[in-house]
Amino acid sequence: MTRKTHTQLYFEDVNVGDELPGFTVKLDATRMVKQVSGSQDFYEVHHDTAFAQAGGHKDIFYNTGWTRANLGRLLTDFVGDEGWVKKMRFEMRRMNMNGDTMKVKGKIAGKRPETNEIDIELWAENDREGITTPASATVTLPGKG
Amino acid sequence: MAKTGTPYDIEAVRKEWVGKQTEPVPGRYPVEYDPIRRHCHMIDDDNPLFLDPDYAAKTRHGGVIAPPVMADYFAGQGIWPPSEDGPMLLREVPTPGDRMVNLINEFEYIRPIKIGERLSSYQVLADIFHKPTRLDPISTWIVSETHIIDEAGKVVAIGRNTLLTHRPPEEVAADPNGTGGSK
Repeated sequence: MTRKTHTQLYFEDVNVGDELPGFTVKLDATRMVKQVSGSQDFYEVHHDTAFAQAGGHKDIFYNTGWTRANLGRLLTDFVGDEGWVKKMRFEMRRMNMNGDTMKVKGKIAGKRPETNEIDIELWAENDREGITTPASATVTLPGKG
Repeated sequence: MAKTGTPYDIEAVRKEWVGKQTEPVPGRYPVEYDPIRRHCHMIDDDNPLFLDPDYAAKTRHGGVIAPPVMADYFAGQGIWPPSEDGPMLLREVPTPGDRMVNLINEFEYIRPIKIGERLSSYQVLADIFHKPTRLDPISTWIVSETHIIDEAGKVVAIGRNTLLTHRPPEEVAADPNGTGGSK
């Protein structure tokens, strides 16, 4: 297999304020099934509407592992084969549900040349709730020197 | 979580549980290709570093690595078949309700994890406290740390998780403040 497109970025290539290439995910029943398969999270609140509503939720919603995976994908796409994701923090503040279109976005918040570390603000959002999952991360990119 | 009846004594639970640490428990299986493939499938991630052994062999990693966020997956037991192995802290700590919502997650990824590695994990209960939510006035929050180690005992990743636990609406309606009927 070959990857769609990928060019290795270097520490010197990026600047504070730059936006990361984000991506968009349509959330539907098939995606929900993939979520359970990929995360192996079988807690009913993520696939059983009656169970979720009995617990006080509007409907089933996407789980933490799936949300984390999407945030992680934004970062691993950005750092490429030569970089590394050192830290990530996120808060599950609002929910992504079937019918939503979720966007995953990020921007560079800081750079430390002494360690080639880059701080990133990233998040997941949908049209219904706005930002659902605010996050932050520290990654490294290789230097050109 | 181990659901308890009310009244619930948060201070007694804190005294007994905060700081508890489990012994390291090995993950059920080594780091394997197919769970990585399923993980990538669920998010449309076509990164060949995670999926293509021939491609990955030519990179600095020398082979396929797991997406960093999968470290805890390979250090765990998986949902089925049921297992009594694995860190039990979150299953044992008493809470007023048995419903839960994962809220804050922090991870530190020390190094890449390769196919074939065996990972283990242990947990530390960092904190437990009450903080009201719209779901339950005695919502109970649990903060735990999971340390993931390799076969040499070196830490490869650390996770810190804040979990909200609550009672279902009918239990809250019957006893909103969790007093067990006492005034």
